[in-house]
Amino acid sequence: MGQQLKEIYLYREMLKNLVAKELRARYKGSVLGFFWTFFNPLLMLIVYSVVFSFVMRVQTKNYAMFLFVALLPWNYFATSVLQGAASLVQNSSLIKKIYFPREVLPLSVVLTNLVNYLLSLLILIPALLIFKVELTLALIAFPAILIVETLLVAALTFLVAIANVYFRDLEHIMGVLMTAWFFLTPVLYPIDVIPQKAKFIFNLNPVTPIIEAYRSIFYAGKWPQWDALGYLTLGLLVLVIISLAAFGRFQKTVAEEI
Amino acid sequence: MINEFFNANVVEIKDLWKKFQVYQDKTNSLKERIIFWGRQRTEEFWALRNINLAVPKGKTIGLIGRNGSGKSTLLKIISRILYPTQGEVKVRGKLSTLLELGAGFHPDFTGRENIFLNASILGFTRKEIKERLNDIIEFAELGDFIDNPVRNYSSGMYMRLGFAVAVHVDPDILLIDEVLSVGDLAFQEKCLARIRDMQKQGKTIILVTHAPKQVEDLCDMAVWLDHGEERLQGPAQEVAQAYKEFIGIT
Repeated sequence: MGQQLKEIYLYREMLKNLVAKELRARYKGSVLGFFWTFFNPLLMLIVYSVVFSFVMRVQTKNYAMFLFVALLPWNYFATSVLQGAASLVQNSSLIKKIYFPREVLPLSVVLTNLVNYLLSLLILIPALLIFKVELTLALIAFPAILIVETLLVAALTFLVAIANVYFRDLEHIMGVLMTAWFFLTPVLYPIDVIPQKAKFIFNLNPVTPIIEAYRSIFYAGKWPQWDALGYLTLGLLVLVIISLAAFGRFQKTVAEEI
Repeated sequence: MINEFFNANVVEIKDLWKKFQVYQDKTNSLKERIIFWGRQRTEEFWALRNINLAVPKGKTIGLIGRNGSGKSTLLKIISRILYPTQGEVKVRGKLSTLLELGAGFHPDFTGRENIFLNASILGFTRKEIKERLNDIIEFAELGDFIDNPVRNYSSGMYMRLGFAVAVHVDPDILLIDEVLSVGDLAFQEKCLARIRDMQKQGKTIILVTHAPKQVEDLCDMAVWLDHGEERLQGPAQEVAQAYKEFIGIT
């Protein structure tokens, strides 16, 4: 695995360029260009606040913000995994013709969505202030939570990317799976509405503690639950090692299978 | 230095075998994999059998053979795009493969932006690319078009830019797969001149071709492959001559 990481480091310029290409190319040719990166979360915010404060009045205080602080990191997770599943197959022409560490492709998807998520914070923070959510010192825990989430996103993205080469349906199943996963994660609703009997399922969901942590620091103004995050990190480190090993093992035949 | 002296072979291939699974009906979906579990009709196809090759530093080797003889497969294995089924391949030094020109070009980006993108896919750092940027632009002969999106390029211009990047990335070992026929005659001459330059600089080159003339003109040594097996290995002139007799041109 050391060799694998070294190779990825040697191709850091490619990684950087792929991310820049994605970020710039996505909105290339549109009138507002790069500003769409900000407009998307902004429009999303407007839609949610209108719907949940006028149409469907939810009891939760400041529901639009309650939802928004969880939805942005969820989108980082879900978009990365969905795009990551297609990342190798879509770039088959490159893979067949040029050597580079294949890990670069799914990793570039993760980093692109990470940058998008960070940029959307420039909308989130002012929105929180406008909606009078109190911002506290707990915000400095953000980088730690982000790292934990990125470990999970990267590990899953590697796994689905390589699996999709051998089972092409995965790409299509993923859409449904991610929707189901979304509803099984406390993004739309607070964690305490879950009935005691079903709680154990939610405890198995690695996204739950991450979403809860974001919600604590941004919405409740409290420190996250460090013990839950700590255990999760240990588990995720193991998962990252497994996913890299699996990727390294199966990537050898990718150029033939693709 | 001493190390280099003793390891004069920059590419070493020992007992290399490569097998492909040829599916009669390619099933890559989960459903079909489950239904046809273990019953998929596959045929084994040995693309390379027992290949041995040692390429000394600074030499140019030609791989010659007809279509389907396994020469491109061998090139892909050396460049680590494919992995050998058996045997081993050792490569010492930075290696660059000219299999496809303009890999990863983005149509909406300008020629200049694509140089950075393309060269980074070939494994080069920003600093290395910057140092060579002017040479690449000059070599590609694109003039002011370099700052236009490549979707406005003609196919010849596209190829020229791709070739310019590829030959300027300055590897120790260059692998070339029949891409020497890009652009017009004048540009082809320029490409050949560039390859001769690289030979003079002591670069090692492995060239795949089906033209015996290129072997005679450019190579020191040659390997003739036929149906995945080595038919003849030796000095370029000798192998080219034998191959010419075999395919019936004299």
